[in-house]
Amino acid sequence: MQLTDFFQFHAPTKIVYGPGLARDLEAELNDLKARRIFVITDNHVQQMDFYQETIDGINRTGAQVVGVFSDVPANSGLKTVKQGATLGSELEADSILAIGGGSVIDTAKGVNAEMSLAGDLMTDFCGTHTMPHPLNPLIVIPTTAGTGSEVTLVAVIMNEEEKTKMAFVDRYLVPNLAVLDPEVTLSMPPYLTASTGMDAMAHAVEAYLGVDASPYSDALALQAMVMIRDNIVKACQDGQNIEARGNMLVASNLAGVAFSHSMVGVGHGMAHSCGGLCGVPHGVANHILLPYAMRYNLNACEDRLGVLARLFFIKGTGLTGRELAEKAIDAVFELQRELARGAGMPVRLSQVGVKEKDLPEIATATLSDGTCIYNPREVVYEEVLQSLKEAF
Amino acid sequence: MAVFENAEVLEKILGGFFRLLSGTPEVADKLIKAKLIIKFHYTEPDLTLTVDCSGDKVEISANDDTKKPTVEMFMKAEIAHKFWYGKVNLTAALARRQMTAKGPIPKIMALLPAIKPAYAIYPKYLDDNGFEKYNIHK
Ligand SMILES: [Fe+2]
Repeated sequence: MQLTDFFQFHAPTKIVYGPGLARDLEAELNDLKARRIFVITDNHVQQMDFYQETIDGINRTGAQVVGVFSDVPANSGLKTVKQGATLGSELEADSILAIGGGSVIDTAKGVNAEMSLAGDLMTDFCGTHTMPHPLNPLIVIPTTAGTGSEVTLVAVIMNEEEKTKMAFVDRYLVPNLAVLDPEVTLSMPPYLTASTGMDAMAHAVEAYLGVDASPYSDALALQAMVMIRDNIVKACQDGQNIEARGNMLVASNLAGVAFSHSMVGVGHGMAHSCGGLCGVPHGVANHILLPYAMRYNLNACEDRLGVLARLFFIKGTGLTGRELAEKAIDAVFELQRELARGAGMPVRLSQVGVKEKDLPEIATATLSDGTCIYNPREVVYEEVLQSLKEAF
Repeated sequence: MAVFENAEVLEKILGGFFRLLSGTPEVADKLIKAKLIIKFHYTEPDLTLTVDCSGDKVEISANDDTKKPTVEMFMKAEIAHKFWYGKVNLTAALARRQMTAKGPIPKIMALLPAIKPAYAIYPKYLDDNGFEKYNIHK
């Protein structure tokens, strides 16, 4: 394969996997020297059985939960982060445990930065690699199988006043410990399983097609795609299938490590813009837009799409490279339809609150999304608009 | 050894280049539309250049602490020099922290299409203004 001029691989998060593991973290907490743990979660997670069992489990070790902050909304913002950090500092916490989905995890990253660094989060640390030293230990128990945020160096936090999403990219934001316990994902309804799972699929596909893809990110992205391919429908059909849940959780994590290195592309750019302007949930937007993003990049990555086609069991005898690449896109469309039938997933932007008149503004916003520089083809207005129209 | 001998030379060359760009409509018009104040922090040698696009025309100032920047970029002068040739792999430079960016990323992204024509202008600018010895095409 052709190697790029430069790549690096640095995945410092310790990852532990096991059904029921969230209840028994003594060994891992001792390792981290986490003694006064501040829990960040949301009201929904707090109602679940495993949640109290997790807290009780920690309090049985030498560590203690010194407080809980559960007021994290779905699209968390700076105000929430500030409130959390104030509480965490008052409690003299020495570490943070995030239990939840993407919004909870990104909030916890923001709270950890705010608590660990002198300075103002927004004015001093928004941007890329601006943090001067490591933060306090951050432990994450993801309750959805999608964001991969438990292993990434990125946090996205809404600035409510300016109505903009602020991105923080920093090596010190990477959590120290990710606890993958499939039991905590069992209660996800099919719709959430499908949308978060397709977000993970989009991470894997876009990381594989991106300009910064390396043999390291490729290995993880391809394995993630295989595991999602084999398990996403099963996990939607039978939420109690612990093996399918475990596979989805690990796949999402692998895709997270992959895209924390090679990032994502125009699919996520469009999804971020649909989220910001029309409130389309991140996973739903990625589910809808992924095949269109692949088509956008068809001319730039025929060979790589061909590899994906084989991964979707397409033999490709007698097909040209381009035909094979198109089959990969068809396979993702087919998966979309399967999830529409099985989990009630929408397949068009018009089904999720986007109006035709919104498309130009979404296209404009996509062009200033940070993902553009990682996309294998130049991100241009007319073509993005065309993709959005096709997905509409 | 650093590419530029001292801050004065760096100001003359990069400051001069920015002043040239600010008079080049295909670059300046887009910058003014973005309504940004960008501050470049250079090291080896130390210098800051502020590019103020918040008004009707682009204004360049050196070591200016009076203007509050929207976006700040930090890099060695050598990286900046290579960048203006289009010879810096941007994603790798960001990943290696050879360049760091502070501020809202969408605003930084808005700069990239604006400065595209600048890559072709830089080597010619060096030759035309007596800075041939810094031109790495030679
Ligand atoms: Fe995503």
